[in-house]
Amino acid sequence: MFNLPTTNIGGPELFVLEFGDIVTYFSPYTAALFVFALIFTVLAIVSRPERQVDFAFGGDAYYTKVVDPDLLRFQRFMAIACGLATLGAVTTGDVFNFTLFASMVGITNIGIVAAYRNRHVLNAAFQYGIVAMLASIPLFGGAAIVLASTGTLSMWELFGGAMAVPLIAKAFLVLGVMGEGMAPFYIAKAEITRAQGAPFILMVHVSSLLLFLRVTEIVISM
Amino acid sequence: MDVAYPVGLVVVAAAIIIGFTALVREKDDLHRILLTDLAEILALVLIALVATDLAEALILPGLVVGISELMAVSEVYIAKEGLRAPTGPPFRIEVMNSAPGILALILVAYGIVLSGFTGGVIAAVGAVFYFMCRGHTEQFELIETVSGYAWAFWIGAFFIFMFLPGYWFFGVMIAGGAILLKVMAKMSLVGTMRGGGPDV
Repeated sequence: MFNLPTTNIGGPELFVLEFGDIVTYFSPYTAALFVFALIFTVLAIVSRPERQVDFAFGGDAYYTKVVDPDLLRFQRFMAIACGLATLGAVTTGDVFNFTLFASMVGITNIGIVAAYRNRHVLNAAFQYGIVAMLASIPLFGGAAIVLASTGTLSMWELFGGAMAVPLIAKAFLVLGVMGEGMAPFYIAKAEITRAQGAPFILMVHVSSLLLFLRVTEIVISM
Repeated sequence: MDVAYPVGLVVVAAAIIIGFTALVREKDDLHRILLTDLAEILALVLIALVATDLAEALILPGLVVGISELMAVSEVYIAKEGLRAPTGPPFRIEVMNSAPGILALILVAYGIVLSGFTGGVIAAVGAVFYFMCRGHTEQFELIETVSGYAWAFWIGAFFIFMFLPGYWFFGVMIAGGAILLKVMAKMSLVGTMRGGGPDV
């Protein structure tokens, strides 16, 4: 369409690990995404949760809300799992594994958001859960159509340009990732960006952003 | 595959349209969970339409991801609505006193004969039935440990396939036995861990 100067938009391979026809590899592009996800996973591991501060109106008094340690532990675990799933999604060389990692990001996002015992937040988490479940239809469907039309799921072979991947499969993949990566929308809807335990919410945004970047690379290269 | 695949795709497309229309019209949250689960089956159908060995291997992770998403959303629904487990006398009927021993034995034995995933599920049904009828005061940590070791054996069997292909029969036997134990342990935990107290 635009006649890109190179067919390999991710850049030259830095590292290649072959499992049969499934090849795990790092290009400068995916390596950058990997490092970005790694930094935020480490941040989720080491960071202490913020405590919300309420000011008493008309005076100097303020008080901080108590963070329930159990919820905090659950949320931190979910944030770390979300980071690991994101790491997997940006590294993998297999279309179906990518869809599985994307679904795992969706599940952990539900977990991060659902750790609040607040009706509005739980409502948003529920709506997001429905969307994430429905998104697995186009997500897995896209991977299945790729497999049916080309006979392989290996990105290594699909990116070569010798195989024609139907447009509907690409559209399904993008649609599925849109559904799984929709969590920031629901976070904004429930206004929990500055809720207690705020650093873990960041993971939702990071994972969503990286999923979109990766699926863009996959769809353009195929 | 030449004729069946496009026809199957058309059927799935019609089913997706019907399912999504139902979801748009449905307002009750519980019913929407059920409809979503139904719609998710269509993803598995799309994979199954490919009808190769690889597609068969892809159905299982797809199913597992779908079930875990369903469980997560259901937990959110329970927390959202503030639902609690009903209190009152537990459900007892006569067959629950007489049957569990022999029935569990038959199911577990048949599961061991089948081995693999199918055997694990059959044996787990026996174990779940036994736990359901007799109650459970066992240490679930022990079952979890067994499941973990079984998983390690399963992975070990794959290393045999990769590095010592000549011993494939040995690898098949280890993998079949280990996956039997693992699926059985996991399935029997699913039915019994809830309501047992703070161990969830």
